[in-house]
Amino acid sequence: MATHALHVDDALYEEVRGHRLLGFLLFLISDSILFMSFIFGYLYNRAAAPVWPPPGLERPDVFLAAVNSIVLFGSGVTMHFAMESMRHENRKRFVGFVLATIVLGLMFLGGQVIEYTTLIRHDVTWNGTTFGASFFTLTGMHGFHVFIGVIFLITVLIQTLKGVYTTQRHFGLTAATLYWHFVDVIWVALFSLFYVY
Amino acid sequence: MDIHLIEKILAFIGALVVGFFAVKSLIAEWPKINLEDHVTKVMMVLLTIGCIIVLLVAVNVWGRV
Amino acid sequence: MAVGEVAVEPQEHIHPPPTGFVSKYIISFDHKVIAVQYFITSGLFFVLAGLLAELMRAQLSGPHNNVLSPTTYNEAFTVHGSAMVWLVTIPILTGAFGNLVMPLQIGARDVAFPWLNMFSFWLFPPAGILLFGSFLVGAPQAGWTEYPPVSLMTPGTAMWSAAIFLIGVSSTITGINFLVTVIKMRAPGMTWTRMPLFVWATVVTAFLSAIATANLSAALAGLFIAQIFHIPFFDPARGGSPVLWQHVFWFYSHPAVYIMILPAFGIISEVIPTFVRRPIFGYKAIAYSSVGIGLISFMVWAHHMFTSGLAQWVQLPFMILTMAVAIPTGIKIFSWVTTLWRGRIRLTSPLLFVMGFLSTFTFGGVTGVFLASVPVDIHEHATYFVVAHLHYVLFGGSMFGIFAGLYYWWPKMTGRLLDERLGKWHFWLMFIAFNATFLPMHWIGLLGMPRRVATYFAQFDPELLRTISATNLFITISAFVLGASMLIFAYNALRSARGGERAGSNPWGARTLEWMTTSPPPYYNFAEIPIVLSGPYEYGKPLPYANIKQDPDAVPLH
Repeated sequence: MATHALHVDDALYEEVRGHRLLGFLLFLISDSILFMSFIFGYLYNRAAAPVWPPPGLERPDVFLAAVNSIVLFGSGVTMHFAMESMRHENRKRFVGFVLATIVLGLMFLGGQVIEYTTLIRHDVTWNGTTFGASFFTLTGMHGFHVFIGVIFLITVLIQTLKGVYTTQRHFGLTAATLYWHFVDVIWVALFSLFYVY
Repeated sequence: MDIHLIEKILAFIGALVVGFFAVKSLIAEWPKINLEDHVTKVMMVLLTIGCIIVLLVAVNVWGRV
Repeated sequence: MAVGEVAVEPQEHIHPPPTGFVSKYIISFDHKVIAVQYFITSGLFFVLAGLLAELMRAQLSGPHNNVLSPTTYNEAFTVHGSAMVWLVTIPILTGAFGNLVMPLQIGARDVAFPWLNMFSFWLFPPAGILLFGSFLVGAPQAGWTEYPPVSLMTPGTAMWSAAIFLIGVSSTITGINFLVTVIKMRAPGMTWTRMPLFVWATVVTAFLSAIATANLSAALAGLFIAQIFHIPFFDPARGGSPVLWQHVFWFYSHPAVYIMILPAFGIISEVIPTFVRRPIFGYKAIAYSSVGIGLISFMVWAHHMFTSGLAQWVQLPFMILTMAVAIPTGIKIFSWVTTLWRGRIRLTSPLLFVMGFLSTFTFGGVTGVFLASVPVDIHEHATYFVVAHLHYVLFGGSMFGIFAGLYYWWPKMTGRLLDERLGKWHFWLMFIAFNATFLPMHWIGLLGMPRRVATYFAQFDPELLRTISATNLFITISAFVLGASMLIFAYNALRSARGGERAGSNPWGARTLEWMTTSPPPYYNFAEIPIVLSGPYEYGKPLPYANIKQDPDAVPLH
């Protein structure tokens, strides 16, 4: 199915790579629209509420979420370093940084699980008020995207160990990195919307 | 020690470290001209903004407590 | 070689042809085969949705009939509308026509992502099965717009959401695919302003599909979890709002109606120059007005919500922007009519459907300007005036455009001609029956006949009821004639497929690239990728392709 990275001439590889990059970026744009629609819904319900947050609700722990955010942002930096290592032909460092990214990503998901269980224990639920509905839907969608991202990263790690990529030809890695940054940036927005604003 | 204080310290230090490396990467990437490099630069800027927000939360300037 | 024929020899370093029935016809990566798959599947859903319409019309032929129970009637109009929008019009114009024509017109061998193209198609039949399958559990009843809270009261809404979600994914992927294809894979020398106008239409449509559909997916997911998990987004008792659904739904669904009309505009722009043998008037105006329409389409959604309690200061800009979209649309109509003016017109079936389109779509556009005015809409919202308007633009516009395209590109797709006489019968019967069905609806709408009601005896006093009933009966009879007119096309198509007269490469004598290869094209489309030297509609000048051997002065077969 895919044009194997190694078996075509440079001109054809560059051409197909260009198509895939544009297609992947358009996919990320449409994914942003998905998040933006839910964010609109959250802001709409919030603006229409007489008092926000709905009275009597436990507040999510801002400081735990702040630490969790740094974990995720840190994983974005480690992924960038991974790409740089690949470009400078440092296979060992690449593997190390990708593993670090995966671990940090999983730590983020763990942090979200702690956050969710704490909130549910305090009666802030998905189907309770619109606060819980918006919070769990948006962060849940984001968490799902992180989960898919972790699988994506594991896949490209395995592909790298199998020798599929070279220092010149590694579009799969580029795509995984862009996707991971995208997930990071969405979290900047969600953290701001739910914990700061 | 209050758990919140530990979290705030971790967040503060983490934001400084991650932010530092994000800015350093941004400066290194700046001269590149390919489409994916431009996208990476934008992402790094937004990530840095994220770190600044976390920093402000960690020192109680922003954030709903 | 016959008149208009091209020589096509196979070339090296193209992937080998697919072998075996499954690779050739079922799991195919060839855009032309995928197009045929879309045509067949959409055609099937067109028949099913059309039958639902005929059932609805039977119920409405009298003021207090018992053909359908009120519940079944509600299910019928909901599935009819949903199917016509998402299982017929959008798939045919994007998946079928876009796939069939666009790659050939830009001189490419296929789309940018053939596997995704195949995957996009195969999401489509399951979606249709889910939608029609909802009848088994209690189909949704709140109309294709499915406003909560009513939509949350029927079990079928969850299936409806899932079905349309699948179509949305298919549509988004196709949009991304087509955008990359046109941006990156045009033949050498084909600058943006040398592209055929159907390709311009496809690009703008692809942009709308790729960007707006994600918003629909969010809305549908929200409705789905609202029904299954009782998530309170739309429940006012728990802090939600039904108006939120309307905003999110219409933010996609208004661009969606432009997804349903822009490719039809593109088809009109292709058919007219061919049968007048003249350059199209206002190429750039038509191209850029498509872009303008695409952009404005994102800014008018709340004109569907003028009776939902929006503040007046919100309604006013939507009213003005909605009226404004008539300007780029009018530019196109003007350009098309000017292209035809005092030309030597060959009145073939495709061009007849174009003429039908020009009259009915323009009429629908005019009633749209009426409805754009808030004071008018407050009276006409949810009456048959709106039903008339939407059918004039969607049937009069999209459907007539689809038939124009079908008659035009049938020879290219199948290698055979459709019968001209049958085509003319189809057109006239369809055109007359269409107007007989939908024109009176303006009138009864203005008299107060509401939409989405199974009986209307309670709405009017006895004398007015007699007039309304008689009109509805007339509409019903016309609707059945309209349905019957489709049989003429079906017969024509079958007859042609089973041994109609063979078409050469270029039976119409047109100049865009799809006509510069055989009918049907080989799996690799062109022996050599063409080199483009000039625009596609410059009749009277030599063919603008450096390496295509075809006699430009050849007399077309028809």
